[in-house]
Amino acid sequence: MATPPARRPGRARLARAALRLYPPAWRARYGSEVLVLLDDTGGGLAAAMGLAWRAIPAWIWPPRQLHDRDARMRTSLSTVLMTGAMLAGVCLTFAQLTQFQGYETHGFPLVVGSYAIFDAAMVVCALAAAVGGLPLWLVMLRRARREHRTRETAYLVLPLVAPIAWIATVAAVARLLGGPDGVSPGVFLAVTLLGFGAAAASCAGPILAMRRLRPRGPAVQLAVRAAGVATAAIVVAGAASATALTGLSVVALGYDGYLFMLFVPTVAQVVAVFAGYLAVVAALAITAIVSARRGARAAHSR
Amino acid sequence: MTGRLDRWADPPLLVLASLADEPKHGYAITQDVAETMGVTLGAGTLYAVISRLEAQGLIEPLDAVDRRRPYRITAAGAEALAQQASRMSKVASLAQARLRTGLGMAGA
Repeated sequence: MATPPARRPGRARLARAALRLYPPAWRARYGSEVLVLLDDTGGGLAAAMGLAWRAIPAWIWPPRQLHDRDARMRTSLSTVLMTGAMLAGVCLTFAQLTQFQGYETHGFPLVVGSYAIFDAAMVVCALAAAVGGLPLWLVMLRRARREHRTRETAYLVLPLVAPIAWIATVAAVARLLGGPDGVSPGVFLAVTLLGFGAAAASCAGPILAMRRLRPRGPAVQLAVRAAGVATAAIVVAGAASATALTGLSVVALGYDGYLFMLFVPTVAQVVAVFAGYLAVVAALAITAIVSARRGARAAHSR
Repeated sequence: MTGRLDRWADPPLLVLASLADEPKHGYAITQDVAETMGVTLGAGTLYAVISRLEAQGLIEPLDAVDRRRPYRITAAGAEALAQQASRMSKVASLAQARLRTGLGMAGA
């Protein structure tokens, strides 16, 4: 077997940095071997670029022999939780901007039907998240308290604290700044962004707790299955909102909701906003579907 | 022009061929492939191939020695390599025979 020359550690700094782009499971399995090879061969820019480029398929098609079932399920749950929450937030913002601002969609069955499907799908999504997420949340909370892990307990309480804080803020803002027609578009935008922040914090808490507590077992499997159902529901909601949006764009360009008052006075800008909305919904939905599918495969594998 | 016909130099095939005689670690594979087949495999390419071949059960890792883990071709890997080599050999023989005929006709 060929013997490598004397090692030249440190010359492959860039390539070592590129190695950090790989999935953790891949790095855990091959990382040390790659580092030794880089030391033996000297690394350099070409090696770094090659490594960086090959990191993409390592994420898209993770090697089966590196399959850590529980870790895969936890990662899937984290991704679905965050993308699902963002997708729900985008969809709810859309609903708030179009459905609850008094615009009459009667006479447009496509739009009315889409809204009905959207509402039903959001309810299914919320139920699935509650049924699947609650047992896992309780399992982690019980363990964190039993082991006196203050930080993990704080992470797990975030999904309760963040929404309550946001609702209290909204109530205070509405009381202080609201008029007979509600709040101004600028305040609405600020409150909406704050809502996304609260949703992100609510998701980040359990995600961080999962990373530290590494739960296993039936509660994780149930959560993954529920995440699959919730993802399907939220994707249906996204599709329904997109259909309703398309219907609105065809029949209701004169609609004067907050969105239009704020940013989009021309038809071209309306189309641009609609296209942007569809692109965001599609990107979040695809991410959630891919991750939910990987989690479901892990949950069903032996 | 010949650059367009480099498909024979598929990295998985090169790695399998390199491991056909004895187990080798990453550095030994890159050196062997470079010396015997004239192809330079980068660390990214090599370990992408190793992980794929391992997933397919065509190679298997052995115990690491001094942080270097050797890989060995499996029975399935040897069979796959033999089949591919046989196919390539047929293509090579056919191509050479037809080139000889064609060149002969061109020279006539």
